[in-house]
Amino acid sequence: MTRLNIALLLAVIASALYLVHTQYASRQLYTELDRANAEARRLETEQQRLQVEKRAQATPLRVEQLARARLQMRTATPAITQYVVNPLPTPAASEVQR
Amino acid sequence: MSRSVLYATSPLLASKTPVWRSKFIVGMIALGFVGLGLRAAYVQVVGNEFFQRQGEVRFARTLELPANRGRILDRNGLILASSVPAASIWAIPEDVAHDDPQVRAKLKELARLMGMPLKDLMGKLADEDKTFVWIKRQLDWDLGQQIVGMGIKGIYLRKEYKREYPEGEAAAHVVGFTNVEDKGQEGMELAFNDLLAGKPGSRRVIKDRLGRVVDGVGEISPPVDGRDMQLSIDSKVQFFAYQKLRDQVQAHKAKGGSVVVLDAVTGEVLALANYPSYAPDKRQNLSGEQLRNRALTDTFEPGSTMKPFTIALALETGRVRPQTVIDTSPGRLTITGSTISDTHNYGALTVEGVIQKSSNVGTTKIAMQMPAREMWETFSAAGFGQKPQLGFPGVVSGRLRPYKTWRPIEQATMSYGYGLSASLFQMARSYTVFAHQGQIIPATMLKSSEPVVGVPVFSPKTADAVRKMLQMAAGPGGTGQKAQTLGYSVGGKSGTARKQVGKSYATNKYRAWFTGMAPIDRPRIIVAVMIDEPSNGVYYGGAVAAPVFSEVVQQTLRMMGVQPDMDVKPQIVAEVVEEPL
Repeated sequence: MTRLNIALLLAVIASALYLVHTQYASRQLYTELDRANAEARRLETEQQRLQVEKRAQATPLRVEQLARARLQMRTATPAITQYVVNPLPTPAASEVQR
Repeated sequence: MSRSVLYATSPLLASKTPVWRSKFIVGMIALGFVGLGLRAAYVQVVGNEFFQRQGEVRFARTLELPANRGRILDRNGLILASSVPAASIWAIPEDVAHDDPQVRAKLKELARLMGMPLKDLMGKLADEDKTFVWIKRQLDWDLGQQIVGMGIKGIYLRKEYKREYPEGEAAAHVVGFTNVEDKGQEGMELAFNDLLAGKPGSRRVIKDRLGRVVDGVGEISPPVDGRDMQLSIDSKVQFFAYQKLRDQVQAHKAKGGSVVVLDAVTGEVLALANYPSYAPDKRQNLSGEQLRNRALTDTFEPGSTMKPFTIALALETGRVRPQTVIDTSPGRLTITGSTISDTHNYGALTVEGVIQKSSNVGTTKIAMQMPAREMWETFSAAGFGQKPQLGFPGVVSGRLRPYKTWRPIEQATMSYGYGLSASLFQMARSYTVFAHQGQIIPATMLKSSEPVVGVPVFSPKTADAVRKMLQMAAGPGGTGQKAQTLGYSVGGKSGTARKQVGKSYATNKYRAWFTGMAPIDRPRIIVAVMIDEPSNGVYYGGAVAAPVFSEVVQQTLRMMGVQPDMDVKPQIVAEVVEEPL
């Protein structure tokens, strides 16, 4: 009887210690998860910010300025455009010719 | 009995200890244990909830999970408005050590970084009773990091979001803007604020001594991000339209102007620009002139741009045919004491010629053959006096009085566009009647892929006939020759309306209009232009507004990939050589 009790006591103590350990591990993992989530969110906003920045660098205003000033380009008109017929009309082309 | 210590002989010790003393001590200790037991039972059982709550208050925190505001995109998915993180700087004035020379130097640097005078900064920090003062909100994120890096005690950073508008002033009136609280104030930002704004979520967590989140408690309510809105606007068309309009307004020293580009097939708004405009992210010292979305919120008398509707009605009801001759000499006509006049005496004109030359007398003579009710019905059906269903803030309906109150002279003036009013947008939309086989189609600011269902106003035959007249009006001998553009056939009607000042018309203030479409046989776009008070010598719609029309049509059709329908003398210098594969 006594032996059994001692064995059970040891088992309880072991289980309790293990519980404490698991809880600790779970909290640590949770912290890590939380940090990862925050990082994901940060990266997401960063991506959005960069997208906006990229777009701001490619606005029609800027493109036109650069094309004119730096690349000496000029606006295309039908007079300087060669129109060719697409031998295999794509849906988009037939849409245009409607 | 030998004793080395004598104290045992002390009479005090010799006295016998009473038994109750030890019993008392034992009793007290037992009582102490009982007390502890009771307390434990109370804490664990009876007052458990209270203590649990108190404990939680000390380490559990509710975190707000911010939701992103949706983006506004153009029809090709390019960003027109998007939220980016911004740094807002705040302070606890009491904690800022004003007197420390080192801190003072840092504050000076801080003021320089934020671009605000040091005096203003010190003013904000002066009130030491406050525990929270905004110094400057919505600074660039990188700048904010720099400020935090300076490490001034009492100056802190809070992360907020601000809107970026890459297109700037070109699309300002369409996109609108938000305030610092991220609420829409104007334009699409206001119209679709509910959809764009997300719903912030929250969750409860347990934090440890170092502020790390160690566990979640209860349910998480996840944030709902705002939805992205895709507009029908094409940012390239929008930019060119705005640019051409701005150049023309400046060249003619006008007060302002607007331009609307509609897709004649789908009813989508491809561009809607006004000048003067503003930069949506720098909104200090804005005037009402800049803020106003003239194309939608201002109504004017359309003048001659109305004439095609009168003529179309006469054609539709079989009262005239395109070749019917109307005698407009001597260029004047008197109705109940008021005189209507043309700029020249055009003599006998065909109905086509009336539109081409924009004869007031000819239009009136045709209009007087028709009952007021029919005219009113047609004008209403074309959208005059009706609010365009755009869901856009501040859209106006214009004015079209009920026909029962029309006097004969009013019916006459209305036939050529005086005595009723419309916004430029209404004008552009009404021309879908001629561009879309006699049907008026609903206009939309949102990208749509579904085919539109129009409401017939005229028969396709009438619409074709009027289009031919519009082409003549923009061709040789017409009033809108400057609307011609390379490679594409155009048609349209110019208008020059005197501005009403008080109760009478001003003699030197005009509005120049041009509304038209291209290519004329199968219109793809409708472009309407209005220039307010051109005051550099010329003021006719055909001279001031038509050139903008011409350039906008050219750019827009080219960008839409519409092949020119007119022969162009090629100026290609280089030979096209087939590239070896």
